[in-house]
Amino acid sequence: MTKSKQIKKLVQTAFAAVAVSLLCDGLASTVRSAEPKAAAPQKSDSAVSPTNSVESKADAPDAGKVVVKRQITGAELYSIHCNRCHPERYPTERTAAQWKTVMLHMQVRANIPGNQAKLILQYLQDNSGR
Amino acid sequence: MKTRRLMFGLVAAAGAVGMGFPPQAVAEVSDADFNALKATVQQLGEQVQSLRQTNILDQQTHEQDVQQLKELQEKLAATQQTAQDAEQKSAVAAQAQAQPLPRGPIDEATVNHNFMILGDAEVQYVNADKQNGAFVLADFAPIFLYRGGDNVLFEAGFDFGIQNNGGAPGGSSGYSTTINLSFAQLDYVMNDYMTLCAGDLLLPLGTYTERGAGWLNKIPDDPLGVDLVPGSGVGAELRGAVPLGDSGKLLNYAVYGVDGPGSVDGTGSAGQLDVGGNVGLWSDGSTTANLHGSPVGGARLAVFLPFPYKPHYDLELGVSGQSGQWDNAGQHLYTAGVLDASLHFGPNFETKGEYILTRYGSDDLGQIRQEGWWVQASYKLAGLNLELPGINDLELVGRYDSLRDGMGTTTDRYTLGYIYYITNALLFEGDYEFVNSNDPTQPATQLILQMSYGF
Repeated sequence: MTKSKQIKKLVQTAFAAVAVSLLCDGLASTVRSAEPKAAAPQKSDSAVSPTNSVESKADAPDAGKVVVKRQITGAELYSIHCNRCHPERYPTERTAAQWKTVMLHMQVRANIPGNQAKLILQYLQDNSGR
Repeated sequence: MKTRRLMFGLVAAAGAVGMGFPPQAVAEVSDADFNALKATVQQLGEQVQSLRQTNILDQQTHEQDVQQLKELQEKLAATQQTAQDAEQKSAVAAQAQAQPLPRGPIDEATVNHNFMILGDAEVQYVNADKQNGAFVLADFAPIFLYRGGDNVLFEAGFDFGIQNNGGAPGGSSGYSTTINLSFAQLDYVMNDYMTLCAGDLLLPLGTYTERGAGWLNKIPDDPLGVDLVPGSGVGAELRGAVPLGDSGKLLNYAVYGVDGPGSVDGTGSAGQLDVGGNVGLWSDGSTTANLHGSPVGGARLAVFLPFPYKPHYDLELGVSGQSGQWDNAGQHLYTAGVLDASLHFGPNFETKGEYILTRYGSDDLGQIRQEGWWVQASYKLAGLNLELPGINDLELVGRYDSLRDGMGTTTDRYTLGYIYYITNALLFEGDYEFVNSNDPTQPATQLILQMSYGF
């Protein structure tokens, strides 16, 4: 192969490589620009109590920052409230129906909001085993 | 030659023929022998016939035996099957008995009752300075709960105890059983944030009365100062909790009106204040009337601040108070205020305390100012992660409490104790107290051991 042909081939190869890299970069940019729209926070359900959740703060659409919404669980509320005054009572100590009565008593005595008391009750009943 | 050959051949042939025939017996048999032989043959024939018949009978008998055996085997198989069936039925019946019977659904709106007994029981031994050691307390304090629906609860607490009748000269022998109604109230949960209570209420002056009494107390005796304020009152109360933002923070509130403290003898003398005497009507011999012209009012406000998403880490701060007339004439006010605080720093460390201040007017001593405080800290040794037997069930506790009764008596007490958790509800507690008081009736030291059970 003559030298001129070699040079010509080299130039063609380089041109093709540059074209491919430009194409790939363009595609990547397109994908990145589409991500913030896909991760936009959902509209909150009006039935969800704001007292038991961490609200997600709305950032500027182009900030790319996502705040995770977190609900306090019945198990966590049980750990917070149910051994402040007395040793922990295990869910298996009572039947589901008995826990309903006990929790009503504790809701009054320990000043626990009704919606949190319901979550604790659900946790106790689910784990009572009877 | 020919003839000789012929003769020789004939002789040979005759010899060969002769050799081919068997020799004939020539012996002769007589008639008698023949007849005897004949008889014998006949006899043998009859015996053979008889044997043949016997054989046939035996054959038949054998076949019958085989048939019977077959029938018995079938019966045995049937019996075994019956026994197996009975065993299976018995096992199923036993299993069914062990399992709870299926119950029909309960309509909570109509068939809606649930009765329970909670509470605690204690036995106490005390060995005080300059006194003999003795078992001084056997107490049974049940709490009856009746849930009348999703939002209605009736709860009542009793205190059954025993005390000696005798001791002093002239006293009677034996012992008496004391019964005290600690509280009896009807609770109506109006919504998630508000509950209406009415009856003989546990008053929210501080938190000890509601959440620290009985087996809930980590030290066998009550802190000094809690007796300065009424523990219960007959009246009505609105209480509840309001969430403060996220992660479990709460604002607790309680507002109430009760009959309030009274006077033992109806007068306004300082020593006649009766913080527990607040029930209904009282007659002074000429007038049956309400104890006071108006109910006594009180309230508590507190914040509960759990560390975000970190159970066992929380702080509670509260302020409460009550004010109203206490003497029958309505001339003097009784006012009480309590600051309470509680801190949990992890699953093993707890500290809490109260500051109590009361002021009341009197006919004879003017304004009486009383104050008391207590602070208590405890640590569960499970937090040390030591591989020693029993250590994880042990909790050390200490308390400092003080009382100024406003009439010259001051008492300071230092207590060191422990709780051994036999189970989560069965506790073996003990403490040693150092008492510094100008009250001569107070022992300088005392040891208290207590077994308590919360159910």
